[in-house]
Amino acid sequence: MTQTNAMAQTSNGTINEPEDTSDKGNASIRVHVRLLDTLMTLAGELVLSRNQLLQGVASGNVRATEVSSQRIDMITSALQETIMRTRMQPMADMLNKLNPVVMDLSQQVGKSIALVIEGNEVELDKTILESIHDPVTQLVRNCVDHGIETPGERESTGKKAMGNIRVRAFHDAGQVNILISDDGNGLDPLEITGASGQGVDMTGVVAHIESLGGILEIDSQKGVGTDITIKLPLTLAIIPSQITCVGRERYAVPQVNLDELLRIPLDQVKERIEKVGDADVVRLRGELLPLLDLSQMLGIEKRYVDLTKGTALPDRRKNIADRRSKRHSLDREAAIEMVPDSVSKMPDRASKDRRSGTRNAINIAVVSAGAYTYGLIVDQLQDSEEIVVKPMGRHLKRSTAFAGATIMGDGKVALILDIANLAQMAGLSTMPEVKQLTTASEASVHHEEPKTALLTFKNSENEYFAVPLDSVERIERIQTAAIEQIGERKVVQYRGGTLSLCQLSQAADVKPLTPKEHQEIVVFKVRDRELGLMVNPPVDTIAVCLKIDKKTFCQPAIKGSMIINDHTTLMIDVLELASVIHPEWV
Amino acid sequence: MTENTMETSSADNAFSTFHLGTSLFGINILEIQEINKNFEITQVPHASDYIKGIINLRGQIVTIIDLGRKLGLNPVQKNKDNKNIIVHSENEHIGLLVDAIHDVVHAKIHDIETAPSNIGEIKGKYLQGVLKNKKQLIGILNMTEILKD
Repeated sequence: MTQTNAMAQTSNGTINEPEDTSDKGNASIRVHVRLLDTLMTLAGELVLSRNQLLQGVASGNVRATEVSSQRIDMITSALQETIMRTRMQPMADMLNKLNPVVMDLSQQVGKSIALVIEGNEVELDKTILESIHDPVTQLVRNCVDHGIETPGERESTGKKAMGNIRVRAFHDAGQVNILISDDGNGLDPLEITGASGQGVDMTGVVAHIESLGGILEIDSQKGVGTDITIKLPLTLAIIPSQITCVGRERYAVPQVNLDELLRIPLDQVKERIEKVGDADVVRLRGELLPLLDLSQMLGIEKRYVDLTKGTALPDRRKNIADRRSKRHSLDREAAIEMVPDSVSKMPDRASKDRRSGTRNAINIAVVSAGAYTYGLIVDQLQDSEEIVVKPMGRHLKRSTAFAGATIMGDGKVALILDIANLAQMAGLSTMPEVKQLTTASEASVHHEEPKTALLTFKNSENEYFAVPLDSVERIERIQTAAIEQIGERKVVQYRGGTLSLCQLSQAADVKPLTPKEHQEIVVFKVRDRELGLMVNPPVDTIAVCLKIDKKTFCQPAIKGSMIINDHTTLMIDVLELASVIHPEWV
Repeated sequence: MTENTMETSSADNAFSTFHLGTSLFGINILEIQEINKNFEITQVPHASDYIKGIINLRGQIVTIIDLGRKLGLNPVQKNKDNKNIIVHSENEHIGLLVDAIHDVVHAKIHDIETAPSNIGEIKGKYLQGVLKNKKQLIGILNMTEILKD
């Protein structure tokens, strides 16, 4: 399966942004009156809440101000969602245009093909809808041209003479998926990786989908057929992003490019960060990942925050390897403060020590775009936020390092990084090149068993647990005081919503947690919801060959056990855990 | 549109004048949308040297040009009198950072004389002409040329 993704960016280097309608300024759109009514109601609500807020501020009533700001928060979200919906158009028109295309082309090439279309009612942002018309048509034409065999060929392989193409649009996980499947000849894995099978040149289509912030997946079996899935964001205007800091400025890394966050404590820098020639690389789960220093790339002076004085000072350490403090006290501080080797660890949102350790650790955002994967070194990692993408003026068209700009909560502007262009600017080689080199050298040596990445943590002192890393959304550290108890449930306010918390002892036969000042939380995605599991550090990742003993420790929410680092480690079944804690979810 | 009115009519034109170092320059007031004092400027690495950065103007991203640098003079020095002159050009707003705002000067189009091909270090193409004031010469700027990227 080939998978690629990229920033929402068009070939001319600007975000394909709905506001930027200079060339089609007169275009109009049909909107349902019901939507307009909802908008009017919300606008009225907004005015009311603003008046309340102004009153609250004028009278110095903190409670009233809080209440009205919460209301404004809710109304803003509802407004945003409703306004987004006005841009949504059903896919019917576009999909039905495929019928004549398939009919004409199949007659031309002498094939007999049935086309099935599903998901006419699925809605998509107008801008995206317009721009996927061509790639989707191209892909369907490919199916007719190269995928489906002639009736004679089909019958000789025991298939029915009539070939089938199915185009299906559906919503999944906040994205629109378009599945194009045929029961034709299929592609070789080699043809897929080369993105060009049987004369099918897919590079253009892939680039087009990527430019919309989408992903193209090909799943094919020789002789059986091909499934092509296009995953598209619902809209281009708002993208979830990780906010990072370098120097005085903030930079947004689109979540679609973000793989994970990595924080390397100073005392581990020597072991984990190595030099290959002039380039820095980090060892991550056995693989070498190239590192780019954002401050160097952008020519910005690094800064670190002096905690004792609360002032930011320029950081003069030029090489990453120099970032080892010679003062032992600092080293020790770093060691205590850090959960050793914690991958994907988000900075603590709630507590004040969120920025501590900035100078004691190297913060890396592991990013990927298209064929590039690398680690981006930044001064600080902040929250992830939904940002509104704004186009930049014409004088900045040539600043290819940025995909646009956004306005932060404090009104200041932050730039959005273009992960693919940054890699090109740094002259990184793409992953396939790297892979080819490694496979060439390793192929003759031995064949390794596939490894699975696990997240390991503890419950009580001697109880070790693990979950597959890909089931984990995030790891957070919160203050225990922030946890609220509502009836039997524990919850915590989190990103403007409420996160349901649980501990293992509620489901499995393990010891309950002892309360302490801070609580580590592993956030899982269960269906469309999030569940936070309270755990104890060290939270770590490890890649192992899965050999699960399913007999010894079989109980609710526990899949089985295996030995990891000399500890008997219980494997958690996330779905089962969620179904025990929240039976109504599953 | 503005240029047409300027060339065809001999009526009064108003020019907003401002300082760049010791020199005085003017922009036809019809080309100016607003003048503000927003210095929450976000720098854009790798941009041309005359680009000061970008600001948030009521939800729009506006590019700020250091007019001193653009004209080949000294860069605008940080000062309490600094102002952004926001102009509208080709469907976007652009800000011109200047040292300080001066008076509004009224003049007729035919009062504007052709600029000498080289005033100081300023490239001639950036000047539409020169206006003689009581005390000082005012360089009237050719906005189309200045706002070209």
